[in-house]
Amino acid sequence: MILASECDTAGEVICAPSDVKELFELPVHTLLGVEVNRTILLTLLAAVIVSLLFYFGLRKKRLVPSKFEVMIETLVEFVRDGIARDVIGPEGTRYVPYLLSMFAFLLVANLFEVTPFVNFPITSRMAIPFFLAIVTYVIFVFVGFSKNGFRYFLDTIWPKHVPLGLRWLVGLIELVSVFALRPFTLAVRLFANMVAGHLMLTLLLGSGVIFVAAIGDIGARAALGIPWFALGVGIFLFEIVVSVLQAYIFTLLSAVYIQSSVHFEH
Amino acid sequence: MEGNIELLKGAIALVGYGLAAVGPGIGIGIVVGNAITAMARQPEMAGTIRTTMFLGIAFTEALALIGFVLFFIA
Repeated sequence: MILASECDTAGEVICAPSDVKELFELPVHTLLGVEVNRTILLTLLAAVIVSLLFYFGLRKKRLVPSKFEVMIETLVEFVRDGIARDVIGPEGTRYVPYLLSMFAFLLVANLFEVTPFVNFPITSRMAIPFFLAIVTYVIFVFVGFSKNGFRYFLDTIWPKHVPLGLRWLVGLIELVSVFALRPFTLAVRLFANMVAGHLMLTLLLGSGVIFVAAIGDIGARAALGIPWFALGVGIFLFEIVVSVLQAYIFTLLSAVYIQSSVHFEH
Repeated sequence: MEGNIELLKGAIALVGYGLAAVGPGIGIGIVVGNAITAMARQPEMAGTIRTTMFLGIAFTEALALIGFVLFFIA
């Protein structure tokens, strides 16, 4: 938006963005002697919001909880019953704290995209989804080895249930997909979804505003901004769904990966 | 000659993303279509089927998303 508002609307070519990299690099500020940018501040804000939600939501155990407490309890119940116990099984209860904190953090982080005056999903910076994916990776590899011993690795690269002729090929594919690709695809799925949504919102809403604002320079062509802005509003509503869905899918896939290590029979 | 190739690079990346989106598009269509069929046949299983459907979509979608990321890297 800042980039776009510097456009020369009087010229023949209205706007030519200089480089896509400008969308990915944020100015660095100094706060209390520490260099921070918007991503770091919003990450801290998300962590504070999640902590406060759970602190005030689950502080008191009352017979008749307030509306806010019911909301938080529904969230906890959804992750515990809908994700952890449904996917992992009875042992899933052990992983509820991890899955729940991750789901809540991702929910807040993704919804920053559609929060007015913030409008920036921190999960569209690769560091954050990739860090969470690495944590999931460490957990499921550790659980796999501690539950099944070294058999976890051997059975992955030498699956007994596959015919001998194909076994080496399946083993190779499994080795790469389980130990190398899983954290990568897990992180990229969330990251790319949020970047795509953020770009679309910026382009559509931004160009809509610019076109309408340039009515003095380009005359009737400024009406082009109206359908674009309307499309942007439609995408905005769609992005609310995408934000929630991606937080859910990230948590669900983490649970599925942990499940594949806990029940390692196939 | 050098300059022309530089100009073409973005366009080629765009075509690459388009190609990367074809397979997952078909795949997601199959996943969702079959999930709808299953839900219509057994509405009482709709919750489980929906979860599995999202899982299938997420796995299928990964290829298109890798294409999308490569478009920005290229």
